[in-house]
Amino acid sequence: MDFCKTVEIAYAALPLRPFRDWLIRAHMEQCPRCQAGLLSREEAKCLLVGPDRVGGTGALWGRIAGEAGRVAAVPERKPARGALAWRWASAASMAAVIALTGFWLLRETERPGFDARAVAPAERFQIDYVNVGGAPAQTFVYRPQGTDTVFIWASRTPEKEG
Amino acid sequence: MDEGTNLPVDEQGIIEGCLQGSPASNRAMVEAYGNLVLSVALNVVGNRQDAEDICQETFLQVFRRLDRYDRERSFKTWLLTIAYRRSLDMLRKKKRFTEFSVKARFDPAVAGRGGDPHSADPEPLPSKLLEALSPRERTALCLWAYEGYTAKDISDVLACSASTARVYLFNARRKIKALLENDHGLLQNG
Repeated sequence: MDFCKTVEIAYAALPLRPFRDWLIRAHMEQCPRCQAGLLSREEAKCLLVGPDRVGGTGALWGRIAGEAGRVAAVPERKPARGALAWRWASAASMAAVIALTGFWLLRETERPGFDARAVAPAERFQIDYVNVGGAPAQTFVYRPQGTDTVFIWASRTPEKEG
Repeated sequence: MDEGTNLPVDEQGIIEGCLQGSPASNRAMVEAYGNLVLSVALNVVGNRQDAEDICQETFLQVFRRLDRYDRERSFKTWLLTIAYRRSLDMLRKKKRFTEFSVKARFDPAVAGRGGDPHSADPEPLPSKLLEALSPRERTALCLWAYEGYTAKDISDVLACSASTARVYLFNARRKIKALLENDHGLLQNG
């Protein structure tokens, strides 16, 4: 009896459910006194509603019949599996495209002789300076709107008076 | 004989018929197992209307997915597994609704569609003592008491190990016995 009490105290004190389950199982399976104190099958039947007390199945079939007919007429759609496969395929192809693009960019930028300035925007035109008669000239750069043509007008820089 | 329902059941014949979409076989299945499923659902959820909904959903799911049933396993256990899961779904739904109704200050007992409380012939309901048990413990107790299920059979329905199912059953029997003894003591003393 004392041992049973100890087990009960330990059961209440143990924090983890697996330990509690193990303790109660091990004790109950070996303790005839505790087994005798369990609810009997007959007592349980008095508290539960058995299949013999729930009533006939006529009303139940009435509820199910209409729906069952609809179930039989319309075969179960299985969009989930197809949609899932489609989603996986799209995600995998997207990941492959991203990986290949990344790999290509990495390879291009890492290869010997790669000049980052070469991939600068192509339409950008740049001159450092123009010399006329051995001296830096006045330079005008003109690009008509909507064309790729660039005109450069360079003239001798007028000398300062005085 | 099918234990629990006391009906001679040509199980394989009914299953074949249901697979071919025969309404007569569907009806035979509901007649053979309807009371059993309704009883389990009623003992788990404790409410007749909900139990009938669970029963309906269980059979519709069975008719839809019968092709996935593994003939090596017990059909009754497969059916009860579906009924048990549907019952858990219903309890979760009810819990969410109760939480909502508490927030909205709304009384589900008034607005719900429960049975008539003044009915002259009330339908049987499981004892209130069972509310002290978890749904798993209630299911284990019900299957053990009425179907004679062992811990292994119960574990198939509850999707747990046999030793865990044994613990559920021990706990259920222990708790209810203690409550009964407490009630008895109160009656004798009071």
